[in-house]
Amino acid sequence: MLEWLNTHIAYWHWLVLGLLLVTAEIFVSGFVLFWFGIAALFMGALLLLVGMPIALQLLLWAGLSIALVLLWLKFIKPNWKDRTTSGMAMEALTGQVGSVIESNIGKPRGRLRFPAPILGEDEWQFMSTSEIAIGERVTVVNISGNTLVVSPR
Amino acid sequence: MEGLSVVVALVVLVIITIGMGVRIVPQGSKHIVQRLGKYHGTLNPGMNVIIPYVDQVPYKVTTKDIVLDIPSQEVITQDNATIIANAVAYINIVSPEKAVYGVEDYEVAIQNLVQTALRSIVGEMSLDSALSSRDLIKAKLKEAISDDIADWGINLKTVEIQDINPSVTMQKAMEEQAAAERQRRATVTRAEGEKQAAILEADGRLEASKRDAKAQVVLADASREAIERVTQAIGDKEMPVMYLLGERYIHALEELSTSDNAKNVIFPADLPNAVKGLLSR
Repeated sequence: MLEWLNTHIAYWHWLVLGLLLVTAEIFVSGFVLFWFGIAALFMGALLLLVGMPIALQLLLWAGLSIALVLLWLKFIKPNWKDRTTSGMAMEALTGQVGSVIESNIGKPRGRLRFPAPILGEDEWQFMSTSEIAIGERVTVVNISGNTLVVSPR
Repeated sequence: MEGLSVVVALVVLVIITIGMGVRIVPQGSKHIVQRLGKYHGTLNPGMNVIIPYVDQVPYKVTTKDIVLDIPSQEVITQDNATIIANAVAYINIVSPEKAVYGVEDYEVAIQNLVQTALRSIVGEMSLDSALSSRDLIKAKLKEAISDDIADWGINLKTVEIQDINPSVTMQKAMEEQAAAERQRRATVTRAEGEKQAAILEADGRLEASKRDAKAQVVLADASREAIERVTQAIGDKEMPVMYLLGERYIHALEELSTSDNAKNVIFPADLPNAVKGLLSR
């Protein structure tokens, strides 16, 4: 069988496999098959230049696929940015800057106001480890229920 | 041959392993990652990589707003009236890990919290103020629940009172009260009208009597004037009264002749004596 495969696997087998895998990516989720498909296409191109036994071809294909996935994750994915924070309450609120309209001096909570409503409201209660006077600007660090955890700027 | 089997097995393993390691999280949800049973991290939307076999994704949480229907319930107000209230709450999961580990079923938990808070808030209000101050109830409700849900990493965006209705018996009683009030007003209005009418009628009678009296006086004055004139004209030859009486007498006889049932009228021959006889002189 090994001999049969060695003699009958041609470069275009790899090309067809690669195209099938890339196409299959549309129908399955995960973005994994795509890289195996790209690797298979690469193998097809490689076989045109140099011949090698089938076992080595498969091994090379698997290794190439892993390398492609790792490359993708390492260099390209970190450059993706979030285009929206809608539906992500934590991300939408943290880092926002508001001004204090009711101080928390002498009591556990104060109130702050954002220039524009965030999550449907422009006035929020806040807690802070430090005492903040009216008019000061604060940055949202965390959310606890309906209360924001802030730190002075 | 053995080499090929090993390589094929290896390729299958690689595909499955990479497939397990790459996780694509759709926008609007977050996935919780547990490493060997312990919480490890939360996956944000987009492509994520977890360590296959070691990490698992046991919970997938939506970060979109969740609409919670608060079932209608009977609430007793401060003045012992029963009303039926239901609400709708909009919650948003801020910290998925707190939501899944902090409470068994956050939807049921928040539903129950809103129900009990609504009961206690309305219980401190009178029926009329509960029916008219939805906004106040809303604000109080939000305030009351905020602290309780803080541990679960959930943000209560709004809670709206959908219906706040008196119970069937209460509604009937209120309608009856309103009807009775209208009835009372109608009765009062009618009585007032009757009183006004009676007063006006009596006023009319009084006025009429006054004028009648005045008319009598005028008539009497006229008679006196007439008698005086006649007296002057006749002088003391004959009693003026006799003249007047005679005149009336003839007038009466004239009227008698025009009546339907007596056509035969006999004039006395000696009119002055007849008149004198009438006066028995």
